Amino acid sequence: MKKLLIFFIGVAVVLAGWNASRHNWYDREENELRMVYSGEVTTLNYLTAATANEISLAVNFVDSLVEYDRFGGIKPCLATEWNTSEDGTIWTFKIRKGVKWVTHEGKVYGKLVAQDFVDGLKYVLTSENNSRTANIVYSVIKNAKEYYNKEITDFNEIGIKALDEYTLQYTLNKPVPYFLSILNYLCFFPVKGQFLEEVGDRFGTDNRYILYNGPYVMINYEPHHRRVLEKNEYYWDKDNVYIQRITMTYNKEANVLAPEMFLRGEIDHVGIGTDIIHEWMNNPVKRNLIRPNRTNFFSYFFLFNFNPQFSEEYEPVNWLVAVNNRNFRKSIFHAMDRKSAMLTEEPYEPEKRLLNTITPRNFISAGKIDYTQLEPLSKFTNRDSFDEKLALTYKNKAIEELKGKVSFPVKILMPYNAASRQWANRVQVIEQQLEGVLGKDYIDIIIEPNPPTGFLERVRDSGKYALMELNWGADFADPETYTHPFRRDSTSSWIHMARGYEGENGYTIYENLVQRAADEVMDINKRYQLFAEAEAFLIEEAFVIPYSVGGGGYAASRINPFEISYSPFGAVSGRFKGLKLLKTPMSMDEYNLLYKQWERERSERLKGAEK
Amino acid sequence: MIRYISSRLIQSVITLFAVLTIVFMLMRLMPVEGYLGESYDKLDEIQREKIIENLGLKDPIHVQLKKFYKRVASGDLGVSIAYRPGVPVAEILKSKIPYSLGFGIASLSISIISGITLGIFMADSEGKILKRVGNIYIILINSIPAAIYYILIQFYITDIFKLPMLFYIDRPISWILPVLSLSLGTTATYALWMKRYMVDELNKDYVKLAMAKGLKRREVMKKHVFLNAFVPMIQYLPSSILFTISGSIYIESLYSIPGMGGLLVEAVQRQDNPLVEAIVLIYSSIGIIGMLAGDVLMAILDPRIKLGKREGRI
Amino acid sequence: MMNSGYSYWNSTIRAFMKNKVSLFFMALMAVFIVFIIIQPYLPNQKSPNVIYVDDTTGLQLINMPPGREFWFGTNSIGQDMWARIWSGTRTSLFIGIIVALWENAIGLIIGVIWGYVRRLENIITSIYNVINNLPRVIILILLAYTMKPGVLTMIFTMCITGWLDTARIVRNIVVIIRDREYNIASRILGTPAYRIIYRNILPYLVSVLVLKATLSIPAAIGYEVFLTYIGLGLPLSIPSLGNLINEGRGYITVPSLRYQLMIPAMVLSIITVSFYAIGNAFADASDPRNHF
Repeated sequence: MKKLLIFFIGVAVVLAGWNASRHNWYDREENELRMVYSGEVTTLNYLTAATANEISLAVNFVDSLVEYDRFGGIKPCLATEWNTSEDGTIWTFKIRKGVKWVTHEGKVYGKLVAQDFVDGLKYVLTSENNSRTANIVYSVIKNAKEYYNKEITDFNEIGIKALDEYTLQYTLNKPVPYFLSILNYLCFFPVKGQFLEEVGDRFGTDNRYILYNGPYVMINYEPHHRRVLEKNEYYWDKDNVYIQRITMTYNKEANVLAPEMFLRGEIDHVGIGTDIIHEWMNNPVKRNLIRPNRTNFFSYFFLFNFNPQFSEEYEPVNWLVAVNNRNFRKSIFHAMDRKSAMLTEEPYEPEKRLLNTITPRNFISAGKIDYTQLEPLSKFTNRDSFDEKLALTYKNKAIEELKGKVSFPVKILMPYNAASRQWANRVQVIEQQLEGVLGKDYIDIIIEPNPPTGFLERVRDSGKYALMELNWGADFADPETYTHPFRRDSTSSWIHMARGYEGENGYTIYENLVQRAADEVMDINKRYQLFAEAEAFLIEEAFVIPYSVGGGGYAASRINPFEISYSPFGAVSGRFKGLKLLKTPMSMDEYNLLYKQWERERSERLKGAEK
Repeated sequence: MIRYISSRLIQSVITLFAVLTIVFMLMRLMPVEGYLGESYDKLDEIQREKIIENLGLKDPIHVQLKKFYKRVASGDLGVSIAYRPGVPVAEILKSKIPYSLGFGIASLSISIISGITLGIFMADSEGKILKRVGNIYIILINSIPAAIYYILIQFYITDIFKLPMLFYIDRPISWILPVLSLSLGTTATYALWMKRYMVDELNKDYVKLAMAKGLKRREVMKKHVFLNAFVPMIQYLPSSILFTISGSIYIESLYSIPGMGGLLVEAVQRQDNPLVEAIVLIYSSIGIIGMLAGDVLMAILDPRIKLGKREGRI
Repeated sequence: MMNSGYSYWNSTIRAFMKNKVSLFFMALMAVFIVFIIIQPYLPNQKSPNVIYVDDTTGLQLINMPPGREFWFGTNSIGQDMWARIWSGTRTSLFIGIIVALWENAIGLIIGVIWGYVRRLENIITSIYNVINNLPRVIILILLAYTMKPGVLTMIFTMCITGWLDTARIVRNIVVIIRDREYNIASRILGTPAYRIIYRNILPYLVSVLVLKATLSIPAAIGYEVFLTYIGLGLPLSIPSLGNLINEGRGYITVPSLRYQLMIPAMVLSIITVSFYAIGNAFADASDPRNHF
């Protein structure tokens, strides 16, 4: 018995040694990008999907009328030219000729025509299809809402028509200056009606059930395991597609395992999370392999609740009196050290993520002035709100005004989603920091962990918070999108119930400011100016405390982030068109150089566009 | 006995029915937001209403139940609504079960063989070193949480032996580590119990008698002790089999194995009702039948146990 | 009838005392438990939730390795690991002990009734089957949705389904023994049920129960780790071995930060090994066959 055991051990050792002596067990093809991802898509149906994961995958397979270049400018894509009517409600597009639809095997199915866009929109507006983006369509297209609600049953009455094989016309329900940017949303993408009929309910359920006209075709799709994208040889712009093949492996533990896989040469791109960033920064070899990630256009801010519906133990009545006092709000506004809160996520350069307005930088410009630099927003943008002395001044004023009406310390219920480790850490830091500056006799912050199930519905929409961190992503390239979270008909904010801010027509001052801006559809610069005024009002009255943008962090990567098409919204950063595989991972110095270069080129273009 | 088994079978069907109905109703206690998905924020009221309606969740509960049972009775496991919307549940399960089953059976076989072998050696008082090594192994495996040693193995062993870190279906060499990791815990369990039963048997009189009669120790061990000790181990088989199908959530997450592990958790979190109901149907059926099989096995092995109505009751 | 001089419990305790290894672990656990109870009252102890900030820079003292100021170092936002570990151990042990007591008490009672009383066997088997086959995940998620995450919720969720296993094991043993000849004889002689159970059946159950009870405690902590892994654990503001280990898992690739994983894992291992040794030894000692 023992001898047998020894024999087996010996064999195992020999096999192991032989295997170890071979170098790279996995040979990489030239021009192949290998990545690991941890967020699996649930569907490839780009007409119904709306989550970041799905969008960033789908934009590789299907093109739209327009696309963004790497400086954020709109370029012709499947549309070659377009014009608008006098009143701005009719848009006519000329469709590019010679664009083909291919199957997942790379075989030609048919050609792209204007009718494909009509078929796509019809699918989105048919409510049985459960499209998550239908409301984006019917907010701008004439009669679309009525069709969705089945008040109109003839699709020909909807504001989209294929005038001929290569001419497409949209009729809007009002002038929409940002209409071009909305066209980049998945709901406006084309689809071959005939193919839809063939596959029926299976459309988009895997890679065999969609057609491709974009830069890549998904030749292999094993959900929760692996997907392979291959360059579309029939792509109309294939000269601008450089990476031949992209292999993505799914792994739930990607943020723990993937960095190690990168070091072993198994993958070419990985995000380096906050947990391990220090170790990489302090190691001279690893430090050269990483570079920063760009920030995105998700806006994070803290919102005061003017309709507290939480339980008695957190004293909602007391809170309601306190929050309606402007000095109280401003004391908290200036007491929050946002940089120290950001350190939990971005230990290096936390400033680059901080945002002093609701609308992020580089989102949109009035001429060559960035929106956040417009007066009256510039005074917020250019100065950190954190100011201890100022906070204490407001605190004293608040105490004087609230004496006798409010019992101190005022309880502040701050809920958070316990499933997010980062958030759990962040609230603890914020709680102790705010109480440290303002004193526990003034405020008593209660952080409340909540399970992720139904979190937004149960906490935010039901008003069960006093002060909470919220976020919003843009839906189109116009400042109006960042006013949506504050509308009274969205359940995500109650600031319209703040006392003392009533304006004309039964709406609040802020709402009237927003409406005035939204009505300005002709003079774009004036429009942005008016929106800036509305936003400045929001911040000046301390209804919100702007916090940060999303994105950031670091990556070890052979991808050049400045080659990605730069879009102010949507997860277009997942698009691999235009990307080249670098020979060695980009270092921090290279990144900084390229960033400066990019900024220069971009401002030149903006100046050029003005002329 | 036959009467007992058939009455138990009828009970089993009723139990299954109860479990499915309870699960069905529990899932409908989940918040509405979950059914609307991640893009909840961007949907307006009209869309939310329509989507909930289209999912059939607005119908009164007894209507939903009736539809559900009609569907199940015809063998249709339904279509996923959140995990992979539009894909038939049967298809999802069919693609995942083979992975978990394959890994499960492979690691179970290894566990049984090595566990029992180790247990036998540990019971034999002659192999002192092996006994000590075995004990240390069992203690270590049980005291370090599996979540930790799985990831330690994946990290260090793959580095030392230059193995791939993840599982790839087309590279058999990547199959070894997940299987071995998976079998570590069960090996320890089987070794522990085997040793215990062996020691019990070795202390029995008939062994002492056989040795006194002059039979060689090895003969005695092989012919009598081992078989007698092995028999009660069978009761652990049914639950082990259920484990193989349900997959290890840790191993499958770490090695990117697209199996069943974690599927139920994810399905519940995503509130994919048809998927949850189908999984519960399958797991419950196996579980209930397994328990019945275990009881029957127990009765067969030990004739002193009498199930059902007993003769001669006072 | 002559008194044979054999007392079950005396023999059990005597046999247990002979095992030096388990005595060592019992002593270790006793010291351990005393220590974690008095730890907060010792001098120079820090609070587990306070975030420590560098006085000069105002930055949080994150990820400091074990040193003079912070004996076990600090975590990723600057909280003292020494305080967190002991607070976490207190919480986890508390949960584990309560859950173990409940599981075994209820499991014993139900298991005995289930195995001994034939009339109820069918009903209880059906109830057991139904509850056993309900996926725990659904119950857990629904409970977490209705009750806020916290220690009470955690105990409640573990207790709701935890007793099933013990009940089944108890029931299986009762079923085996109730039909042995001497029990049949007792019944014919008219011995009341409780006497039969107490005298003949319980002693066999004791060894199994004690083993199960002592193993329940490390099992509860392990289950807590799993729950934290799928997002249903205690919030970070209530440290526990479960969420400390889960936090530390992300650092397995970072040598300088591994202490955040190793220290709670070692504490868990010590607890597990101790309870295993004690449980095993007691199980052996209480087995009547080992009393001579």
